[in-house]
Amino acid sequence: MAYSDKVLDHYNNPRNVGSFDKSDPNVGTGMVGAPECGDVMKLQVKVNPATGVIEDAKFKTFGCGSAIASSSLATEWLRGKTVDEALAIKNTDIVNELSLPPVKIHCSVLAEDAIKAAIDDYKKKTEKVETSVQAQA
Amino acid sequence: MKFYDALGLEPKLALDSDDVKKRFYDRSRQWHPDRFSRASSEEKQRSEEMTAVLNDAFRALRDPVTRAEYFLRESGLELSKDAPPELLEEVFDLNMALEELRGGDESARPQLAAAQERFTGMLGDADASLAEYFTNYDEKPDRAVLDEIHATLNRRRYVSNLVREVEKELNVHSAN
Ligand code: FES
Repeated sequence: MAYSDKVLDHYNNPRNVGSFDKSDPNVGTGMVGAPECGDVMKLQVKVNPATGVIEDAKFKTFGCGSAIASSSLATEWLRGKTVDEALAIKNTDIVNELSLPPVKIHCSVLAEDAIKAAIDDYKKKTEKVETSVQAQA
Repeated sequence: MKFYDALGLEPKLALDSDDVKKRFYDRSRQWHPDRFSRASSEEKQRSEEMTAVLNDAFRALRDPVTRAEYFLRESGLELSKDAPPELLEEVFDLNMALEELRGGDESARPQLAAAQERFTGMLGDADASLAEYFTNYDEKPDRAVLDEIHATLNRRRYVSNLVREVEKELNVHSAN
């Protein structure tokens, strides 16, 4: 299948591949998978707790070119966004930016799910910290 | 359900595969287009249609996994697209190890072989629990059991893809 230039670019030079320590309280980790193809994607955000801004994002994806490109693009978009802005990223934005064909839409959905899962994880962590702080007080 | 009807079967999840096979052969013979070469065009068409349905029915019902998938779809359950979350972590690590092995790092091999064994075991477990759920559901059709079947199928599919992948890699790399 023919990939768009943008997909190829991200595929050949994926941005922000790697990982953070997932026990870091400022790190949110999202791990998602697609059962049809068995692909898995891990996406992490590092949030500045004072501002709620995502300072850095990393990913590692085992999957097709579109999934790699979608997650690579997602990490680029995430940097500098607030947590709430990040949640507004839609898979359709990714589809448009990368000109993904219909059969590859599920790959972009995976990226959106990974963002949501990562933010979710971060939020859960901060809630936990807050409640334990309250409990101590 | 159409496929069960075609083979003259009650819509049950637990089926005897020899019986399914026998019904398929008997009915295929009965509806074989060769036997309708002199029949009216309507009958001819009917024999072709029946033959096609029988083929589809046999393919769907002979195997417990495809049978359950068919059964769920017919019961109005959309097969979910979610990967089993409790497995993701492990799947991810497994993929890391696969990547290392592809990159020529032989130290990943034992980890993969162990994972392979574990996942193959999980497939066996999934098949066993499917068989159990089938009987339960046939005795007492309960939506909750269908959900269990659904989850098991989902997990099974995921794991079997993995097993195939790992097998392929282990073989490729031991060959050279
Ligand atoms: S084919 Fe699986 S994520 Fe693209």
